[in-house]
Amino acid sequence: MKSEYQPKVIGFLCNWCSYAGADMAGTSRMRYPQNIRIIRVPCSGRVDPLFVVKCFQRGADGVLVSGCHPGDCHYTEGNYHTRRRFALLREFLDYLGIAKERMRVEWVSASEGQKFADLLSDFTAELAGLGPRSKILDG
Amino acid sequence: MDKELIQQIRDKARNLLEEGTVEGVIGYERASDGVTSRPLFVYNPSDTERLIYDETCAHNLVKYLLDKKGKKMAVVVKPCDSRAINLLLNEGQIERDNVFIIGVGCPGMVETNWNHKSETLQAKCRTCQLSKPVVYDFLAGGEIERQAEEETYSDITEEEAKSVATRRGFWLEQFGHCIRCYACRQVCPGCYCPVCFAERLDPLWLGIRIAPEENDMWQTIRSFHLAGRCIGCNECERVCPVGIPLSLLNRKLEKDVKELFAFQAGLDPEEKPPFATFKKEEVMEFEK
Repeated sequence: MKSEYQPKVIGFLCNWCSYAGADMAGTSRMRYPQNIRIIRVPCSGRVDPLFVVKCFQRGADGVLVSGCHPGDCHYTEGNYHTRRRFALLREFLDYLGIAKERMRVEWVSASEGQKFADLLSDFTAELAGLGPRSKILDG
Repeated sequence: MDKELIQQIRDKARNLLEEGTVEGVIGYERASDGVTSRPLFVYNPSDTERLIYDETCAHNLVKYLLDKKGKKMAVVVKPCDSRAINLLLNEGQIERDNVFIIGVGCPGMVETNWNHKSETLQAKCRTCQLSKPVVYDFLAGGEIERQAEEETYSDITEEEAKSVATRRGFWLEQFGHCIRCYACRQVCPGCYCPVCFAERLDPLWLGIRIAPEENDMWQTIRSFHLAGRCIGCNECERVCPVGIPLSLLNRKLEKDVKELFAFQAGLDPEEKPPFATFKKEEVMEFEK
């Protein structure tokens, strides 16, 4: 068996749009890379920057935070807060040496199964290009 | 030492205590080395003679107001520290009526060590644009003239110009020094959570092990919790026993918050902080 580098992606998907979007991709039998481990959250606004930093600390190669399109949040404004928070966190992690390409924030609605599949293919390919993240500890 | 200014502080403190306006006054006194200064809590009018003020009074005394909630206190406040008052007012941590602010002008604080004070201004003071506190009840010594350099964030842009891998190496080395004494947290006026995430056991966000990856997590989250809240008193860096350049973290966030959300902490006690509000029409970089 060929051992090829497979990036590990953690995905935080909101219950109302993105999780349903991922479900749509599945039920429509679309193909997308299996690198993602999905965690369902009630709203993308639930995602604390702590979660993302912890993922990277524990060896994730990429983190995806995905929610409803702005204006479509089930809780009216959760994703507006998400947008501000992660816009800053991406910059900050990049500054600390975790390339901002490793963290994505995407808006995926319940009907966008194809967008979800494409997004994952693209993200995984990009992460594979970046290569394994240099471990926090040597070795 | 400006004798007249100090006398004004002492007189005001004595008046406030004698009239019963406040229970206590928080100020500075000469440390036992005879050169530097240390915080002083005055409850007795006769002790007001111990109060001093000079270029070694770097401590941000606003932090102590958090321990004196519900009590009427007066506090000696420099321009940078005064922003912490606005921060705490904004976040509902202190009541304006309970605090009497003795504002002082600041020519800039110098680097000090035990028994030694240098001529060098602290880095934060070189670019400080405030000639007087942003909020005060009494201004001792009046407004002063000061020549400040323009804030260009040159230290931050210099870091940003390096490659991601170089920065990773740099920060891992720095965080490797951290002994997690949490002095940075204890001294910070913005760090007042009753239970810090660092001490939460379930979920365990941060292991107790003093290891680079845990330290990295600590410093990342500590500074991010202060994003849009850090008022730049730079006390965290001053008290760090291993000399981690924490201002590089705080100032990076300050710069980005300014650029992304046009916000500076502690200037207006009414303005909503960037993470408590949003604009529907704004577009972030990852959406383009």
